[in-house]
Amino acid sequence: MPEIRLVNLTKRYGAIEVLHGINLEIKPEEFTVLVGPSGCGKSTTLRMIAGLESVSGGEIFIDGRPVSRLEPKGRDLAMVFQDYALYPHMDVARNISFALRLQKRPKDEIARKVREVADLVGLTDYLSRKPGELSGGQRQRVAMARALAKDSSIFLFDEPLSNLDAKLRGQMRAELALMSQRVRKNMIYVTHDQIEAMTLADQIVVMHNGHIQQQGTPEELFKKPATKFVAGFIGSPPMNFLNGELVDENGEKFIVGEGFKILLPDDQTKNQLPTNRRVILGIRPSDLHFDPHAPENASLNLKVRVSEYIGAQSVLLCDCMSSSVTVELKSETPVALGGTLRFGLRTEALHLFDQVTEQTI
Amino acid sequence: MLDKHPNPAFYPLLAALIFMAVGPIVLMLANSFKLDVDIISGTSGLIFLPTIQNYETALCDILWYKPDHLDFCQLKFGGSFINSIIIALISTVLTLVLGAMAAYALVRFRFLGRDTASLTTLLVRMVPPAVLLVPVFGLWNNDFCIGKNTSFGEFLRNIFGGRGDVCLEGTHSGIILIYVAMNLPFVIWILQSFILQVPRSLEEAAKVDGAGTFQVFFKIVLPLIQPGIAAAAIFTFRIAWNEYLLASALADRDTKTVPILLVNNVSEFNIEWGVIMATGMLLAIPPIIFTLFASRQIITGMTAGAVKG
Ligand SMILES: Nc1ncnc2c1ncn2[C@@H]1O[C@H](COP(=O)(O)OP(=O)(O)OP(=O)(O)O)[C@@H](O)[C@H]1O
Ligand SMILES: [Mg+2]
Repeated sequence: MPEIRLVNLTKRYGAIEVLHGINLEIKPEEFTVLVGPSGCGKSTTLRMIAGLESVSGGEIFIDGRPVSRLEPKGRDLAMVFQDYALYPHMDVARNISFALRLQKRPKDEIARKVREVADLVGLTDYLSRKPGELSGGQRQRVAMARALAKDSSIFLFDEPLSNLDAKLRGQMRAELALMSQRVRKNMIYVTHDQIEAMTLADQIVVMHNGHIQQQGTPEELFKKPATKFVAGFIGSPPMNFLNGELVDENGEKFIVGEGFKILLPDDQTKNQLPTNRRVILGIRPSDLHFDPHAPENASLNLKVRVSEYIGAQSVLLCDCMSSSVTVELKSETPVALGGTLRFGLRTEALHLFDQVTEQTI
Repeated sequence: MLDKHPNPAFYPLLAALIFMAVGPIVLMLANSFKLDVDIISGTSGLIFLPTIQNYETALCDILWYKPDHLDFCQLKFGGSFINSIIIALISTVLTLVLGAMAAYALVRFRFLGRDTASLTTLLVRMVPPAVLLVPVFGLWNNDFCIGKNTSFGEFLRNIFGGRGDVCLEGTHSGIILIYVAMNLPFVIWILQSFILQVPRSLEEAAKVDGAGTFQVFFKIVLPLIQPGIAAAAIFTFRIAWNEYLLASALADRDTKTVPILLVNNVSEFNIEWGVIMATGMLLAIPPIIFTLFASRQIITGMTAGAVKG
């Protein structure tokens, strides 16, 4: 299982630079997810690793070997495409065995391998069908099986689930997670869906505008986002952001903003935070709870505008003076629409970002 | 949508159309099995004693036996029939192979002058063949020759005979070459639009699966543009089969194609209608077979190529 290293990887289309020096290390057998908003350069990065896109600067190392001048053929990897890219003129079996047939493997070995992977993804009954005669989910499996059959040590996925409906996507996501445990390979997975990223990844790489914002385990990214962008991207519903100022009163630190004044807990005060600084306060919707008796300096007074019932949980869209705040709480909590209510917050779970650099303080 | 009960006038109209389309062919077919006396008397219509004499006369030079009614095989139809088939088939195959590869390169590869090349291929096609005739005739006779004094020319002359320089003029290759050149632009142009419709990700998937450029072309692109290839094949074969002007200038006695033979024959004093009908039938058969075969490919290609759904 190889180790993949991207060093200062750059991509230019004409005069436009779309990737600005990506540095990334992918350990053997790791499931890495590249995630980010549309147009941030995830696919471009993946396609450069695959050899489908030329490298404008920097280098890609697979097991220490520079590969950026090699054809895809020479890189020993398999890829699942967003539109599956099944060969329409071949039946499922021939689709799966295409790579093996190119390698001129013996016939019985090919047949065995096809049966094996078809079994693994549950396609045994469809081997003689053409891709045009399959449902979306089945095509997805064929694409997966085709990649598996190749026995490459690196697996690339470019938004493989985005063409499926929500239910099927959930199911395939679970199957993918299972499969990735069974076949220990280097997997690089591109998605813009942070739930996919969180559930599948060993390592998440958050990209934005051609830069890597942060990389780490799902938990690290959720608990210690390095920038406001990462904080807002990871987690659903997304984090609330409120502008405020950091002030010092008699040795205690407060965040003061429009309609709130929140006391920072001790451990954060210890970090000698510079005072009178303009900051952004980040609060996850799940860190707010309905509590009329919460102390003034650890709560927000919110005017509830809309309540979205989603089963066990409800999402409240509220106003805190001029900014909007979402709250996630248990559905049975009695909440009156239109009223101004007090919500307590877990002050130890607060995030602070610099207003100018948007970096975590 | 068609009505379940069409207007009654529909059927006579349909019958008239069928008669107009098929009538001449039936007439030709019937007459090709008649003796000249029967044809000229014109009374018997469809009631006559069929004979294959006309076909025997037409094909006398390649029959394995000597027909009773002929003393001397004058018409060299069989030979030119074979010439026609050789020239049409080889030029079609060459045109398709070169055309498909050129079209693929024009669509997929970025190189200097690509757009210019793409445009000029079609412009070249707009030049009427008659314009080409004189320069090509000159070139084939004088420039594209292997001198009789060079060793290779001598070698060729020892094998094929002849006296002067070995030239393209009068050879199958000479005619094939000009047909390929004539049909290539159109084929490239037609196939470009088919190749454009092959999703790029298919080719990329094949590359990742370990295919080189040629394997991508032959295993992925070519099967998917099969309907386009078949349409182009019908087109090129038809042109090569029917072409008269260039072939009449470039062919010699041994490489004559059927259209030339027919024209020469019709203009002679003693017009044998029966034989002309028979040669006409024979002339029509290869393109029909070829078209039937190729159009099958179009249909299977269209049903097999459903990419999205
Ligand atoms: N052939 C091209 N020429 C010019 N710019 C391109 C080209 N391909 C991609 N780009 C640009 O590169 C940037 C990154 O594209 P990329 O496809 O990697 O985005 P992505 O992160 O995969 O987005 P999505 O989630 O929408 O797939 C985009 O801003 C895009 O406009
Ligand atoms: Mg993409």
